[in-house]
Amino acid sequence: MSRFDPRGRRNRALLVGVSEYDHTAPDPQGVSGQLPAVLHNRRTLEDALHRGGVFRAGEIRVLASPAPDDFTSELRRAVRETEGLLLLYFAGHAVVTDTSTHKLHLQMRTARVVAGEELPGAVSFAGVLGELCAPESRAEKVLVVLDCCYAGNAAAIWHRFEAPPESKEKILLLMSVQPNRCILGGDADVATPFTRELVHVLEAGGQVWLSTLYPALKQRMADAGYEAEDNDRQKPQALAPPWNPDADVLLAASPVAPPPPPPPPPPRPGRTHPSRLRKRLRAAADRLGRTALTLLLALVATGAGGYGLFVLVGEPGPCPPSLELRVLTDPDLEPALRAAADAYVASAANTTGDGCRRSGVTVNSAGAAGVVRALGERTDAWQQPREDDNPQRDIGPQPDVWIPATRADVDRVTGVAAGEDRVFARLEPADEPLAYSPLVLAVPTALGARLEPTGQSLSELVTALEQADAEAELRRPDPEFTDAALLATMGLQGERADARRAEQLVTRAGRPEPSAVRLLCTLPADDAVDDRSAALVPEFLLRSGIGCHPATRAPRVAAYPDDVPGLEPAFVRVRWEDGDRDAEARDDAVDRFRAWLTGEGGLAVLGEHGFRSATGERRLLGTRQVPDGLTASVRPAGPARPADMDRALERYANAHGPGRVLYLLDSSGSMAGRWDGDSGGPGILKQTLPGLGGEDEYGVWAVHGVGGRTHTPLLRFGTHERAGAEQALDGGRWRDAEADPAAALLDALEFMRERGADDERPQLIVYLTDGEDDNRLTGRALQDVLDRAAGAGVPLAMVSLNSSGCDQGRPATRIAEAGRGRCLDAGDDLVPALHDEVARTGTGEE
Amino acid sequence: MRAPRGGRRVRRLTAAALALLSLAALASCTGGDARQQPPGADPPRIVVASGQDVTGKNGVRQQLIDAWNAREGEHGHRARLVELPGSADQQRSQLLGALQSGSAEYDVVNLDVTWIPEFAAAGLIRPLTGAAVKEPADIIPSVDATSFWDGERYAVPFNSDVGLLYYRKDHLRDAGASRTELSGGLTWGELRDLIDAVNDRPKPPHYEDGWTTQLAAYEGRTVNAVEAFASAVPGFELTDDEGRYTADVAQLTAGVTELRERTAPPYMLAEASASREAESLSAFAEGRTTFLRHWPYVYPVLYERFAEDLGVTRLPGKAVLGGQNLAVTSSTSEQRAAKAAELIAFLTDPDSERCLLRAGFAATRTSAYEDPGGSPECRHASAFTASPSASPTGESAELKAPDRLADGVSYSRDVLFPALRGAVQRPRTPQYGAVTRTLITGLDALYGPGRPGDAEVAERLDEALRKLLPD
Repeated sequence: MSRFDPRGRRNRALLVGVSEYDHTAPDPQGVSGQLPAVLHNRRTLEDALHRGGVFRAGEIRVLASPAPDDFTSELRRAVRETEGLLLLYFAGHAVVTDTSTHKLHLQMRTARVVAGEELPGAVSFAGVLGELCAPESRAEKVLVVLDCCYAGNAAAIWHRFEAPPESKEKILLLMSVQPNRCILGGDADVATPFTRELVHVLEAGGQVWLSTLYPALKQRMADAGYEAEDNDRQKPQALAPPWNPDADVLLAASPVAPPPPPPPPPPRPGRTHPSRLRKRLRAAADRLGRTALTLLLALVATGAGGYGLFVLVGEPGPCPPSLELRVLTDPDLEPALRAAADAYVASAANTTGDGCRRSGVTVNSAGAAGVVRALGERTDAWQQPREDDNPQRDIGPQPDVWIPATRADVDRVTGVAAGEDRVFARLEPADEPLAYSPLVLAVPTALGARLEPTGQSLSELVTALEQADAEAELRRPDPEFTDAALLATMGLQGERADARRAEQLVTRAGRPEPSAVRLLCTLPADDAVDDRSAALVPEFLLRSGIGCHPATRAPRVAAYPDDVPGLEPAFVRVRWEDGDRDAEARDDAVDRFRAWLTGEGGLAVLGEHGFRSATGERRLLGTRQVPDGLTASVRPAGPARPADMDRALERYANAHGPGRVLYLLDSSGSMAGRWDGDSGGPGILKQTLPGLGGEDEYGVWAVHGVGGRTHTPLLRFGTHERAGAEQALDGGRWRDAEADPAAALLDALEFMRERGADDERPQLIVYLTDGEDDNRLTGRALQDVLDRAAGAGVPLAMVSLNSSGCDQGRPATRIAEAGRGRCLDAGDDLVPALHDEVARTGTGEE
Repeated sequence: MRAPRGGRRVRRLTAAALALLSLAALASCTGGDARQQPPGADPPRIVVASGQDVTGKNGVRQQLIDAWNAREGEHGHRARLVELPGSADQQRSQLLGALQSGSAEYDVVNLDVTWIPEFAAAGLIRPLTGAAVKEPADIIPSVDATSFWDGERYAVPFNSDVGLLYYRKDHLRDAGASRTELSGGLTWGELRDLIDAVNDRPKPPHYEDGWTTQLAAYEGRTVNAVEAFASAVPGFELTDDEGRYTADVAQLTAGVTELRERTAPPYMLAEASASREAESLSAFAEGRTTFLRHWPYVYPVLYERFAEDLGVTRLPGKAVLGGQNLAVTSSTSEQRAAKAAELIAFLTDPDSERCLLRAGFAATRTSAYEDPGGSPECRHASAFTASPSASPTGESAELKAPDRLADGVSYSRDVLFPALRGAVQRPRTPQYGAVTRTLITGLDALYGPGRPGDAEVAERLDEALRKLLPD
């Protein structure tokens, strides 16, 4: 539950005061007497609420001494009409029946007291709860205020009341007296004590929140020493969810006095540790005396069920730790969404009245295809990682919010999940996309002049590009990683029967870049390449810039293919099974973030990053001037279809065929301390095996020995079941020997050359070492490896367990460069990066 | 087809069954955890969440956990390490989000020292009793102080970390410097004199400036700032034990001045203002500076590169503590919490700390440093029991950086240990994330265009911090 400010919403206050009864003593069936004080209750409370400003004119309805039917019909109407806060106030006679369950009945004007089950003229409180929890209720919060005998019994009835938690938990209770106590009718000339003090606190001026009202009300009543029956003090009660310090509702906000100090976070029953609690109890006792202590103990006792008495320690404290929202997105969208999240976290929308941050937002990205698979079929492991399958490590935090580049991803997940026994994450996508950005062919300006910017298919544009300059190259990031690249791939494949032909259009040197930003940042490394490369990227990058090489980058213009769907980032709430410990607060935090993101603040940031409006003319957000090279108005292609995306991805993967991977595992003596566990040599290699499927061929060489034989086979080269491959790695041992990396690498290059002679299947050599034997990778030996690697056409991934193994000029760095592979060392996020390298070569697990 | 999710169900049933059985055990005053297992059930698990570690620590954490499991035996509890992403931001995000919402279950979490107040104040981790820590008096006091919040122990230090100063003896020698062996420590004034000496002579190949560090707009900048502030103002603390703001403009001004002087030309490599750990390490490794402020884990790597030309010593002035502490989550059951506490006691006991030290971590206990290279040593993790000369090839499990420096000085005992003992903490507050962001942004002015005066920077910092932290 969150701190709720109902102002501006459709609120209702239903004030029911029964001052006059048809049947009173000495009538044997009558109630004990009339209640003239309640007349004042109705009037003074109505005035106070008017002045409070939370309820507008026409939103407060007063029912003077109604019969039960009138009461019920007005209550139903209020329930139907309220969208914000519904305040139900009752003052009058009340009785309890059933000595065990103490059912509470509110007595209306026609009440009579008769023996038996039925109580004519009364409304049961359980019945009132039933009305408040009706399915048609759209109220965000309901506050029930009871000023009557036995009002405190309402809390227990609420606890036992069965209703969906979302409707039940929005109900807060404020009660005039502790359970099983009757109170006196009061003085005829003034309101009853409870309502009198309630009105007083409401009229104190400034913002009056329930959390500040309640302790103030208690204090005033304690100071005045009002008595209930049996000479007991009359102690008001409240029931509200205390687990969240933000749980609160604004009841009045008159512009009179400065706002009262912020409420302290209530302790969290059941999760507050005894010693801390004792300390708080002592502190509270000092300030509020024994009364508070008793109440706090009552809180401890009743808190286990999740709801307890609302507590009140009166001193303003530091900001409570904020709720953490985990946001996962597409690699292309990460910079824009991170900027948006930073702006949101510091915005007023994320700040409480006390200047505290409501939530923190951390944005991460991961490969889009991997995320779709993980949300579809790996939610089990994502929630409970296994040794061989740990999306928490390989993909990242379990998202509360997922923002894929297109809504179609949600349907792709749902499609995959349909084949699962159980899924542990449920997706709730918002209806509208956040923004829009078309996929464009970003062409160096000199070439762009010869292309039609709009009205052509991607195939036509690519043909035109070739005709414009035979040297022109087409580049695209990795379709496994970003949706933009996958959508572009769909366009390239078009109606072609053979996806390999489509892939041949794309220049591919080594691995494709994992995002469009990286692609555009890499191109300028070679001016000639930059000048002749057209890139398939989302349009927004041409406006937002990419933060690298701003001066030397070749300027580009956009050509808009009319058959490729654009990016339409979708906001998706992800609910994890059992992840409902703070459900309402988390929902509220997500809702606030979404509201901000789709509102002025969010659109401004997205506009700065070059996005267009999600609807209508798809105008560029936040600018009237269309930057050079872009087109003002773009007619969007049809939406991305999930099945098309899956098919394009599959065809893309197939076009690159099953792969071959040869692992070289340094097994010399120095590896002894880098052998065991997930971060040891065999452990790291094991974690890359999910990137290989049943058709991929692979093997592992244990590299050790100098002069003569450079290695022994640990896993024969061929296709494998993963379990068998893992077993082989588990069986690997380091040797008490040195190794000759140069000779082993030369052997490996020759081995792969022989295998790849007759086809174009992707290949990869992975060499994992601690670098201890680098002294053999110098001079002539190193040069031989570099020469052979450069001409072999097999990428070489060099993995160093030493954190400077891939520094400039190191042997591993040079070999990886020569072999157009990657150099990864312990300073990198090594395992996921290596897994990606292997997965790029292999077809992946089924 | 996928297997039904038996593990989860079994685990919960087991926990429930154990809870019931433990009540019975209380009544009859007999019985222990292990024997109460329903026959055929999986052993109850203790899930330990920790950031991925491939920084060359040889899987020592996993080995320690394996050792505990072995001790528990077949029917005992089984601890399982769940690795989180390597990035600290992502680790924090997942741990907070999961513990707040319940989206994943962890019993033990390995937290960066700066996160303890936040997790404790949010009620996500629980206070620990003596059962979770063996010989607390053995833990280095400055390190153990990171475990407490609001007067209670919420965690036990697992591995520590502290800023050190690496240097090139060959640069100093070639410059004819008065001292080339600095393991006894030095002041910032002496450091500047040494840099002047190198700058005054024909410069070494690739050399550009005197020292480098981490000042990019991330946590490294906060670390360097706190080191400067704490050096400039004796007893400086931004917050007190309860997270209240305790600094003032005068102190902050002195701190900003110190930071500016340290990082000014011709002493600091200009690109350090955009460097993180990796970039600063590369710059030093490429010979572009004579000095480097960095963490202990780079010692073996740099030694491998420079061998006898490398020196290491305490940072002049104050150094900042890093490291991680183990804590028990509030969401776990009482029974598992008790077992989790036992696990933490084992993982952080004197033997484990000796293993961690041998693996290249900064150990948290005094006893680990008392007899460097001596025995008995590290029984919990087998790969670290062998002595360096056990292998005929001269290669061993340990990373190869000598503990013995010149003149009988021990790296661990005489450099690392005193550095840890004298180290200062970053601000302790549940709002740490916002505080560090404020410092990073506030100090941008020193490294961007404009260059306002120190007092102006300090005033703005003071104002922003006051807004954030209670007085």
